[in-house]
Amino acid sequence: MKTFAISAYAAVVAVLMGWGFYQAVYVAPQDAMQGDIFRIIYYHVPSASVAFVFFAVSLLGSIGYLTWRRTNPNWAQRSDAWALAGAEVGVVFCTVVLVTGPIWGRRAWGIWWTWDARLTTTLVLWLIYVSYLLLRRFAAGPQVQTLAAVLGIFGALDVPIVYMSNRWWRTQHPAPVFGGGDGSGMDKSMLIPFMWNMLAWFAWGVLILAMRYRVERQQQVAAEKEAEKALMA
Amino acid sequence: MKKLLSILLALASAALAVGAAYLMVSAPAEPPRDWPAHMTVQQHALLIGPIDHSYRVAAYLITWAIQLGYLGWLAMKWRPAKRTP
Repeated sequence: MKTFAISAYAAVVAVLMGWGFYQAVYVAPQDAMQGDIFRIIYYHVPSASVAFVFFAVSLLGSIGYLTWRRTNPNWAQRSDAWALAGAEVGVVFCTVVLVTGPIWGRRAWGIWWTWDARLTTTLVLWLIYVSYLLLRRFAAGPQVQTLAAVLGIFGALDVPIVYMSNRWWRTQHPAPVFGGGDGSGMDKSMLIPFMWNMLAWFAWGVLILAMRYRVERQQQVAAEKEAEKALMA
Repeated sequence: MKKLLSILLALASAALAVGAAYLMVSAPAEPPRDWPAHMTVQQHALLIGPIDHSYRVAAYLITWAIQLGYLGWLAMKWRPAKRTP
């Protein structure tokens, strides 16, 4: 039953991805100013949104780990697995943002990169979570999960800064399309394909987040069994 | 089976990344900065259309190269964890 549900969800995700692509390429009209290059928004912005949400998952997981590490080790381990999965999948989506953004910038601005507030804070966010993953990968000892949880919490503080950066400061990055005040927003003919892609990328993200969580839980259980064996010997 | 899947995903990811790089490198040359002196707006639009298209397709390909590359890496990690008794 569980395998069927996962397969059915994966099939729905595949259909959504195909539909999102069709909407972005064949249904959404060409932008009057930017032409075809505008269509990068259908991959770039949903990827940024998914990354933000998954960094929030990592934040909640980190808080959960710190809360339960002494009182409820099982919940703490589960929270830690969510924290790691959220950070790792968030980094994947943030990488997509940092790669597709400059490709758009090269055509729209004539440059690959500029050190404006939005781009710089996004790069800093990516670096914080890459350092989180490197800490998890290479550090050893009983304090690694605690240190990673603290880093995960501080890393998440950059998310609202990234989100607000093009509202607080004058940036080369375009002004906010949504929630940007007067004049912001998107025409319905573009908004519908955009929302389909948002849904498709979130569905895809949830799928790989769940897979990453399961891998981590499997490894945690295996490590616990190994530790028990070592104690018995 | 899982090893084969992860190899296939890694190969697909690499092929997409190479395809994206090729598209950007082989995109037509950009018009000169003083293009209004040499051509009409319509001629300019015709010239930059294929460049924009190449870059847009490259961005889509790179996105999938990253996602499938990660999925392949996840498939690799999945295997040893499942075999652990």
